[in-house]
Amino acid sequence: MTLPGRTAYRDELTEIAADDPRVLCLEADLGGRNHPFAARYPDRFFNVGIAEGAMIDMAAGLAEGGYRPFVSTFAPFAALRAAESLKLALGYLGAGITVVAPYAGVSGGWFGTTHHCLEDFAVLRAIPGVTVAAPYGEEEMRAVIRRAARSGEPHYIRTGRNAAPVSLPWEGTDPPVVNWDDAGAGRDGTCLVSVGEVGTDLCLAVRRAQPDLPHAHLCFVDQPHLEQAAAELAGRFDRFIVVEEHRPAGSVASALALLLPGSEVRSVNAGDRWPVHGGSHEEVLNELGLNEAALWKALAPYAELPESTPAQKKEGRP
Amino acid sequence: MTTVVPEVTRPGLVLTSFPGAAPAAPAAVGTAASVLRERALAARRMVIDMAATPTGCHLGGSLSVMDILIAALDRTATDGDSEVVLSKGHAAAGLYAAMYATGILDEDPAAHYGAATHHFTGHPGPSVEGVRFPTGSLGHGAPYALGWALSRRLAGTPGLGIAVLGDGELQEGLVWETCQVAAAQRAGNLVIVVDRNGGQNDGLVADISPEPELAERFRAFGLEVRQVDGHDVETLREVFEPDRSDRDRPLAVIADTVKGKGLRPVEGKAASHYVTIDAARAAAWKEIVR
Repeated sequence: MTLPGRTAYRDELTEIAADDPRVLCLEADLGGRNHPFAARYPDRFFNVGIAEGAMIDMAAGLAEGGYRPFVSTFAPFAALRAAESLKLALGYLGAGITVVAPYAGVSGGWFGTTHHCLEDFAVLRAIPGVTVAAPYGEEEMRAVIRRAARSGEPHYIRTGRNAAPVSLPWEGTDPPVVNWDDAGAGRDGTCLVSVGEVGTDLCLAVRRAQPDLPHAHLCFVDQPHLEQAAAELAGRFDRFIVVEEHRPAGSVASALALLLPGSEVRSVNAGDRWPVHGGSHEEVLNELGLNEAALWKALAPYAELPESTPAQKKEGRP
Repeated sequence: MTTVVPEVTRPGLVLTSFPGAAPAAPAAVGTAASVLRERALAARRMVIDMAATPTGCHLGGSLSVMDILIAALDRTATDGDSEVVLSKGHAAAGLYAAMYATGILDEDPAAHYGAATHHFTGHPGPSVEGVRFPTGSLGHGAPYALGWALSRRLAGTPGLGIAVLGDGELQEGLVWETCQVAAAQRAGNLVIVVDRNGGQNDGLVADISPEPELAERFRAFGLEVRQVDGHDVETLREVFEPDRSDRDRPLAVIADTVKGKGLRPVEGKAASHYVTIDAARAAAWKEIVR
């Protein structure tokens, strides 16, 4: 049993704070009533109330005062409502603030469009100096939090709502630039590139049905990391399908396409529509057309696909 | 004419303690009011020089805020634990001049203001020696100063976070969001100063978006309020002197000022908001400024 990203964040930060008195935790009324950090370190915990812009700016003041503030609020409020504060504090000032943003993508499901965020990569990746991460599973989240606390550098970390996938294994301290999931895969053809919880779930699902498809998982998606990733990807393959829960504009796929001019880069993403219906996370993703069937469709021109894909079977189609 | 630049060094911040540590002794302050007035006059002359650069500058607001900045910077010049954040960043010319006159800045800003190869931009940023925070997009200085104030409380030191805002700037929601948080956090070492000169970019605050009962507004948010003459450096110095580490309410200082203060041809005129002049006019104005 693994923890959802936001729960893993709170737990890991509370552990780190035991050894680092510079670590502070700020919430904007969305940290829950039983925040473990607040229980153990009440003097270093600030629930500022519903004040996201002020929270980021306050964190800048705290960082300039010698501390390492971690702030958290839902992705739409962090990345969009407080966007200018992020630009100035994390970007221009380079303040050592870590923003942890749950509810990214449409993980808010029935909560609706105000609580969705399909635009955060576009915003945060455009701010130089910010490490942007989309950890998959508890272990990746914990490792990224440790990295942020250790480095004291600006980080934006997106996660979902309650999904708790099992991280892909890796060796070393930090998640690698590219985490290759290619056991049994061929060396030619199309490589799946996964970003975030949904993107990685979909790629793993396709890999289970067709293990000869190689898969490269990316945890860090800021420009410097993508430049390194592009070099590594280009060394092995020349055709990629990037899967991510984000709009096409400002997507990781669009960045990789520019970084890989000699390769073919396709994108499976959440599109440009506004989901107007309720439902679970999965149901909203289906409304947007971001699902396993979309990935099989993207693969169709390139791969020798199974006669009937798992997604087709699920839909009762041949 | 002589520019008064006293020898004052500004100690860098050293984080020496964390929650639970004993409070450090308050910094010694108390520069004579006459010295502060001399600094303010020298700085006003520098601002006029910056209005005579090819870019011009925000003259009226730089002159209105000058005495506030001179008094506040006098504390931070000798107390590296306190921080002045010019939230009304468009008065950058005034900030640079006040910092130079106080001895915080080594380089004469008037010679380089707005120049392509220099850091003295029209709104200040951290690449300028002695400036910590980027301001100019209005409202941000208040929460920066709040964060700074909370960091001093955590460190167990008596430093102040001093944010200097314009009255037009109070139209930004972020200011009131910050007051709400500051009161809830009992940040008694936060001081929000309003340079109430009555003007903003497009005209008068009273015409565009009036702010009646301003003192009551701050009180309603849970702040202490003082109303002062924003050109009385002696009173202003006293405002910034105390150790407020035992206070549990932030302080709002409503400082009544005159836009273009000290320069009779522009005093009180909304058009003084942004001014570009030639060298001859600058020379004449520097003779009459007071």
